[in-house]
Amino acid sequence: MNKKLLHKTSRAYLLFSLLILVVSAPIFYYGIQGLYIQEADDTLLLHKKEFILYSAPTIQLQDIPAWNRFNRNTKIENGTLVTKDSLFYGRHYDTLDAEVEPYRELYVPVNIQGKPFTYKARINLVETKDLLKHIGQLFLAITCLLLVGLYIITNRLSRKLWKPFYETLEQMESFEIDKHQPPNFSPTSIEEFNRLNRSIQQLIDKNILIYKSQREFIDNAAHELQTPLAVFQAKVDLLIQRPDLSEEQFEICSSLNENILRLTRLNRNLLLLSRLDNDSYADKENISLNDHLQKSLPFFVEQGRKKNIIIETSLEENLLVLANPALTEILVSNLLLNAIRHNVEDGTINISIKKNCLIISNTGLNYPLDKNSLFNRFYKADPSSQGTGLGLSIVKKIADLNNWTISYSFSNNNLHSFTINF
Amino acid sequence: MKLLVIEDEPSLNKSIVDYLTDRLYLCESVSRYDEAIEKIECYQYDCIVLDIMLPDGNGLKLLEQIKANNKTDGIIIISARNELDDRIKGIELGADDYLTKPFHLPELAVRIAAIIRRKSLMGSNLLAFQEIRVDVSGKSVAVNDSPLTLTRKEHDLLLYFIINKNRVLSKNAIAEHLWGDDMDMVDNHDFLYTHVKNLRRKLVQAGANDYIQSIYGIGYKFSIS
Repeated sequence: MNKKLLHKTSRAYLLFSLLILVVSAPIFYYGIQGLYIQEADDTLLLHKKEFILYSAPTIQLQDIPAWNRFNRNTKIENGTLVTKDSLFYGRHYDTLDAEVEPYRELYVPVNIQGKPFTYKARINLVETKDLLKHIGQLFLAITCLLLVGLYIITNRLSRKLWKPFYETLEQMESFEIDKHQPPNFSPTSIEEFNRLNRSIQQLIDKNILIYKSQREFIDNAAHELQTPLAVFQAKVDLLIQRPDLSEEQFEICSSLNENILRLTRLNRNLLLLSRLDNDSYADKENISLNDHLQKSLPFFVEQGRKKNIIIETSLEENLLVLANPALTEILVSNLLLNAIRHNVEDGTINISIKKNCLIISNTGLNYPLDKNSLFNRFYKADPSSQGTGLGLSIVKKIADLNNWTISYSFSNNNLHSFTINF
Repeated sequence: MKLLVIEDEPSLNKSIVDYLTDRLYLCESVSRYDEAIEKIECYQYDCIVLDIMLPDGNGLKLLEQIKANNKTDGIIIISARNELDDRIKGIELGADDYLTKPFHLPELAVRIAAIIRRKSLMGSNLLAFQEIRVDVSGKSVAVNDSPLTLTRKEHDLLLYFIINKNRVLSKNAIAEHLWGDDMDMVDNHDFLYTHVKNLRRKLVQAGANDYIQSIYGIGYKFSIS
């Protein structure tokens, strides 16, 4: 699945933050705890120093029980429990809280009035735990705040930063080379986007130029061909006037005539295509497709007579379209003549007008045509066909020009259908 | 009848002159703007065939020149451009007809004949071939003075035949004349055969001789065989 650019950056930030959080939390915890233990040890040692310096020289043996009674956390016990100062963890039952609690303890061997004693001091670590808990909570809260803030800022910033990019993208998506509005990029404050826009602009300008010159070339080529074609035609027209022509020679002339006709048609269609590109058919009026069909039907019926084609019509409603009349006529006749040309003997053609659409279906080849290349210039399903291969491409172009959609479908009973939605 | 052909492509110019020259038409031809100006200023023509794309001066300018000289010559433009704008401009400047290249020579002959008929002061709209009389404006036909009913296509066909009499006419040329641009997309000429057959039958039934000859492989010829 493709993700949006914005999500990618946000996700990277968030993942990094989470990683830092996970890694840093235990380090942070143990670090604080270590510091706190250090602090407790220092306190214990300080108290010991005080005791050794001030209390030990003056305390009497009989004072020891009293000392022990009034000091909860400092005790003096008989005997030598340790040989040197030792710090360790211990657990004791606390009568106040009625639970076993962790302590940091210090045992120091001391001499009181020449007798060996052990100085025992301890610090309750429960407070450390609470402190750590609070610090942890605070840490978590700060981290959450940081993450949310980071996410929002990244999103906002990215959106703002990438805005020109998305604008460019939109323009590119809506750009079509045969339409006449090249995209117009507004300048941004970001160098890279300006560069991007500039290079896209250059690319588009160049392509439009090439497209235009190609169009002009087709236009010029077709026009330039007209005169030699006219000469060719005239010469054949003159040649057949000769009284001494044999049947064989007449046949050659006939074949020449056919080919001039094909060339002429090809050329006219090329000219038509290039003129469609040039928007030469801008004037539009309301046309009743039904009227047009009724008027031109006899001509097509006549055309279909050779193959014994039956043309059925079901014109359900009156369809009015706003378009150029000449082009609409070309569109309809191209479709109908295709339906006749590619039909089979004793075939049928069905013309129907339904709500906002015209459907022309005909019997023909027993396999579907290639949908992808059907409307391409010079595409022919049957290469031996007499057509120019431009008819459907002209139909498509006219449909595009009017924002109509044309679709092709093939049904099981060998019926090829073209549907135009107006 | 005097015609002037102004066409810069020499072989096309020659072909047009060759086809149009017979006992009816006297053809002169030029291929350059200055030559054309000279001819136009000195002589009167019944019809001028004008290629509007001349190398040394625009044909449209020539057209303006002819009209400025207040000539009544009929003018038919032949052009490689089929643009509607050019067509309208030509007609607006006073041309009588506009024919796009390539075209069939018989078609040009028919168009010229129509222009001359319209321009001729006698207003003769009657065309005759042996016992057949065609009233072009009234669209009526008579054989041996008795009227004959023809369909529009048959009428057009007969007119085409009479104007291009004694010429071999290809099926393509006839079909293009009768069906115009629609012809562009049609592959078979069988429907033309039907019309010719009907016309021949009607003419013969009305008492005319059968002047329509089929020329094997190519088309028809209208003549006294």
